[in-house]
Amino acid sequence: MLKIKNLSKSFNNIEALKEVSLEIKNGEFFGLLGPNGAGKTTLMNHIIGFLHADEGEILYNEKPIKFGDKGIRLKIGYVPQEISLYQELTAIQNLKIFGSFFNLSQNVLKSNIDKALDLVQLSDRKNSAVKEFSGGMKRRLNLAVSILHNPEVLLCDEPTVGVDPQSRNAIFEMLQELNKQGVTIIYTTHYMEEAERLCNKLAIIDSGKIIATGSLMELLNNLDKRETLKIHKTPESIELINKIEEIAIINEFDFKYELIPNSNFQKYSDLYRYFEDIGLSSDLVEVSQASLEDVFLHLTGRRLRD
Amino acid sequence: MKNIFEMFKKDLIRFVNDKTALLLTFLVPAVLIIIFGNIFGGNGGSRGKANVIFVNKSNTEAAKIIEEKLDSSKSIRLIKKYRIDETDSVTDFTEEKAIEYVKAGKYAAAVVLPNDFLSDTSVTMSIKYYYDPRNEIESSIIQGSIQRTVFTQLPQIFPSLLTRQANKFLGTEEGEGFRSDMAEIVSDYFDVPKDSILSFTSKEITSSNFLNESTDTSSESFIDNLIKFDSVQLVGADLKNPQVTRIVGGWAIMFLLFSLTSIATSLFEEKQEGTLKRLLCMPVTRTEILFSKYLFSMSLGIVQLMVLFLFSWVIFDVDIFTNFLNLVIVIIISASAAVSFGMIITAHAKSLSQANGIATLLILVMSAVGGSWFPTFLFPDWLQVVAKFTLTYWSVEAFQQVMWRQAELSAITLHLLILIVISIVFNVYAIIRFNKGRIF
Repeated sequence: MLKIKNLSKSFNNIEALKEVSLEIKNGEFFGLLGPNGAGKTTLMNHIIGFLHADEGEILYNEKPIKFGDKGIRLKIGYVPQEISLYQELTAIQNLKIFGSFFNLSQNVLKSNIDKALDLVQLSDRKNSAVKEFSGGMKRRLNLAVSILHNPEVLLCDEPTVGVDPQSRNAIFEMLQELNKQGVTIIYTTHYMEEAERLCNKLAIIDSGKIIATGSLMELLNNLDKRETLKIHKTPESIELINKIEEIAIINEFDFKYELIPNSNFQKYSDLYRYFEDIGLSSDLVEVSQASLEDVFLHLTGRRLRD
Repeated sequence: MKNIFEMFKKDLIRFVNDKTALLLTFLVPAVLIIIFGNIFGGNGGSRGKANVIFVNKSNTEAAKIIEEKLDSSKSIRLIKKYRIDETDSVTDFTEEKAIEYVKAGKYAAAVVLPNDFLSDTSVTMSIKYYYDPRNEIESSIIQGSIQRTVFTQLPQIFPSLLTRQANKFLGTEEGEGFRSDMAEIVSDYFDVPKDSILSFTSKEITSSNFLNESTDTSSESFIDNLIKFDSVQLVGADLKNPQVTRIVGGWAIMFLLFSLTSIATSLFEEKQEGTLKRLLCMPVTRTEILFSKYLFSMSLGIVQLMVLFLFSWVIFDVDIFTNFLNLVIVIIISASAAVSFGMIITAHAKSLSQANGIATLLILVMSAVGGSWFPTFLFPDWLQVVAKFTLTYWSVEAFQQVMWRQAELSAITLHLLILIVISIVFNVYAIIRFNKGRIF
């Protein structure tokens, strides 16, 4: 459905995208995972035809998307990262204004507005000014505006930034519902939990480069282990950390250490024996399932939110 | 105290980093001071002269001397010839042509020394002054200069003329007796000392004594009665409120520029709010976005000016209906030019604050230079040339033609064409910049 071929873009000699290539198939819930400044929004801006690419191209159903392409915007919806609404106008006024650009008849537009308001659960507040909405309500309306024309593809650029957990869940459910209805969704985030929960295919982007693509399982297979080893931070573990460093690479976090054991200690039995030898209580050691965070750490040596 | 100093330092750093605040605090006043200085003759600058048509139909020496004196005036420049239509040749103004030119607004005034300026039989000096008080300051300066020139010189001429006439008909001896008797009669009649009249009448008419300004004020009331200064207001005599009619156009275009520029620069606000990007990600072209702003600004500008003119009609009785159609045309085209000015500011600025700073600077300068605040004739010649490069000048002139002179469309064609060209050039440039994505 959507093919991105060797896309490159620089801003003032800073490479925002470096030969990005991706393929997104019809009906996928495609996640684009990467830290802030990785190039996610820049890639989105190219897909919607908002930016000129320096090199490469994007094909939508084998047809190239050009800068300012009006036609593509009838098929693609875009949920921007910012709350892009006229704050002093009501929800219904915003929907009518933005919906009017899609060449829909009055009846179809009205029906689509009603459906969108139902989906985002704002029907009862449609006549309220946006500035009176909570952050979560604004986010939901931001989404509603983007689906008025029943797009085939919906680009969601971090649509849950600054949203409370309840509204975040509501947005997830709405997007999953749209995906069930056949809408292809491309979702950017730097929250691995979101990507893991929603996406059936993922690409990890860092410093403008795609560093891995695949399903969640395929990405986890990049790891030597499917579990991660953590040691809780206590006075006891802090005292022993120098000895632990002799057998593993350690990433330090606020309340724990994350370990990547070296090749001599790949078996947990060997590791636990070593901990016992140096006097580290086994209660402080935790083994958990590997996540996308671990994949990113494994691929880049950094955490997503670094 | 330390806290106060730290907060002072914080404000200073923020101010120095704010280019717009710097621009408005220092550059705008400096530019306006330079303009004011040039207008009012400070800073070594010289004020411009007002152009006045001059027609001398009299063959008398006195008329020649008056012409010579007016020619050397620091306030006015005499225009004696005009170009014959569609030829390169020039010819002397006639009284009729002078009237035609003043009525058309090409010059503010004409001075005519008629055939009977100083006839052998007349004891009254006759000067005709045709004027168009399109601007009160300009009009006062011109009229004041001419009257001052004539009044300060003529005390020298009349008594001598009377003596000359008496001696010619009565002979020198009887003429002197007549002079003494006449001086006594005049002294009684006008209540001035006889000696002062006799001292005047003993002088001969020469260029030298004529051109030297009289210092004797005792004869002024006497002289006042001997000069017939025939003023004819050719334009605006029927207007109910000439003062407001004169200024309303200038202020209208200045406020129009401020309000419409702010709408154009609101594109920056939409960019900050994210709504511009959302629009650009919909089936909407950049040109459509720009034209929607243009259309809205135009509509608002037209409504704003219509309200302003209606207000001036209701409150000040300014006549807006006699030439209403042409007024509407000037309003529409001025609004278009003002919007295009806003567009070009938006096309070049990098941020909202920069756009607002540049716009404020340029609008104030254009208003000062273009004639919104002062008549452009007050400016030095070079500044009068600069004025013609501002859209304010052409708009103010067009409003004045339509409202003050009740001019027909043909009289403002050039003004309108220039404003249209400005609109087209500015807008095309803004569209090109906007479409290339260089602005947003």
